[in-house]
Amino acid sequence: MTFEEAQRELERIVQQLETGQADLDEAITLWERGEELYRLCADKLDSAQGKVEELARRVEALKPAEPLT
Amino acid sequence: MDAWLGGVAAGILGAVSKVEAVQYGDRKVYSVSAFNRGVGDWLSRLPSVWVEGEVTELRRQQRWASVFFTLKDPADGSCLRVSMPRSQFDALRLDLGDGERVHVYGRPELFEARGDFRFRALSIERFGLGDHLAALERLKRKLAAEGLFERRRPLPRFPRRIGLVTGNDAAAKRDVLTALTTRFPPARVVVAETYVQGPRAAPAIVEAIGALCEIDDVDVIVLARGGGSFEDLLPFSDERLVRAVAGCRVPIVSAVGHEQDTPLTDLAADVRASTPSVAARLVVPDADELRERLEQTRERLRRAPLLTVERKRARLDGAFGRLRALSPSSTLERGYAIVRRDGRIVRGSAEVEPGARVDVELGEGGFGATVNETR
Repeated sequence: MTFEEAQRELERIVQQLETGQADLDEAITLWERGEELYRLCADKLDSAQGKVEELARRVEALKPAEPLT
Repeated sequence: MDAWLGGVAAGILGAVSKVEAVQYGDRKVYSVSAFNRGVGDWLSRLPSVWVEGEVTELRRQQRWASVFFTLKDPADGSCLRVSMPRSQFDALRLDLGDGERVHVYGRPELFEARGDFRFRALSIERFGLGDHLAALERLKRKLAAEGLFERRRPLPRFPRRIGLVTGNDAAAKRDVLTALTTRFPPARVVVAETYVQGPRAAPAIVEAIGALCEIDDVDVIVLARGGGSFEDLLPFSDERLVRAVAGCRVPIVSAVGHEQDTPLTDLAADVRASTPSVAARLVVPDADELRERLEQTRERLRRAPLLTVERKRARLDGAFGRLRALSPSSTLERGYAIVRRDGRIVRGSAEVEPGARVDVELGEGGFGATVNETR
C-alpha cells in the first residue's frame, strides 16, 4: 500500500466516524483500522530513505549529429 | 557518418583505380598527384550543403583569385577552411567582419597541388542574432500550430521515482537535488547527465529523456539547466528536443535558464519552473506538511469514537425528552393535578360526594383530602 492510498483511506475513515453514522461496534473496528493506517503512514515518512542514482552514461555512445545529406 | 566514410574509402579506391599505379611486386603504389586526384575527384561528388559558423581569419587580396576564411564552430572551436572566388565574394557585398555568424552553402573540395582540403563556398548569408530569433519564431509558430504547446498534464502527488536530466556542471544538478531532498527526504531520483550545450546537446537530451522513460516507475521528469547566453540555451529550442518533450510518456517539468528565457521546451513541457526550488515544489510533497496533516488526522481519529458515543447519547437524551413530554408528569409540572378515588381517576364532580376521601397527585408530591362540597 502506498503512502497516498493509506492516507486517503485514513481520512475517509475519520470522516465516516465523524458523521456518527456507524454503529458502535463498527466504529471501534474503523478506529482500529485508522490507527493501523496512521502507523503505516508515519513509518513510511520516517523510514523511507531518499536515493539518488546515476543513469549509465549512454550519451557518450551518441553518434555525432546527423549524416550529411 | 560511418557508412558515409566507408563510402568515401570505397570511392577513393574506385576513383584511384582509374589512375595509373605502379606495381611493385604485389604492392600497388600511386603517385601523390594520382592519389590527390582520386581523393579530389571523390570529394567533388559530395553534395552541396549549408554549414553554419563564425567567420575568422578572412583574407582577401586583389591579386588573389579567391577569398579565404576559416569557419569556426563556436561550440567547440572546430575549424573549416573556406574559399570563394573573389568576384563572387565581392558581388555578395557582405562586408563581413571577424566573428560574424554566417551560413555558407558549398561543397568540399581538394586543392590537389597541396593536398589541402577546404570548403568551396557557392553562397554566403549572414546569420546573426536577429536571424536566429526569426528562425525560432517560425519554428515556434509551426509547432504551436501542431498543438505541441498545449499539453498540461497534472503532476503525480507522490512520484515513485523522479527523472532528472541535467548537465555535468554541478550547479544545476546540485540545486535541484538539494531542493528535492530538503522538501521531501524520501525522494528517489534517477539522474541522467548529458550535454546541455552545443550541437550534441539536443540529441543527447532526447536520448536521456528516452532512457528515463524506459524506467517504469519514473513518474515525472525534470529538465534542469542553469542560465546561459541565448546561444547556450539554443538546444532547448531544437525541434527534435521540443517534439520529444511534447511526446514524453510522463509529465515533464522544464527548469531551464532564468525567468526571462523562454526556450521552446518550456512551452512544450507540462509545467515550467523558474527555479530549482519551484521545480521541487511542483514535483514532491512537503514532508513536514504531510507529517503535520497526518498528526491532525490522527487527532481527529482519536476523538471520533468519543464523538460517536456522544452523538448516541444525545440521540438517547432526545428520545427520552420526547417520551417525557408525552407523560402526564410534565402537565402536572405546569400546575395541573390528578385526583383519584380508590385509585381511579376522578373526571367529574358526580363521581364524589361531600365527605369522600380522595388522593391528589401534583407535579411534586401529593396529599390526601376530604371533599367539602360538590358543584
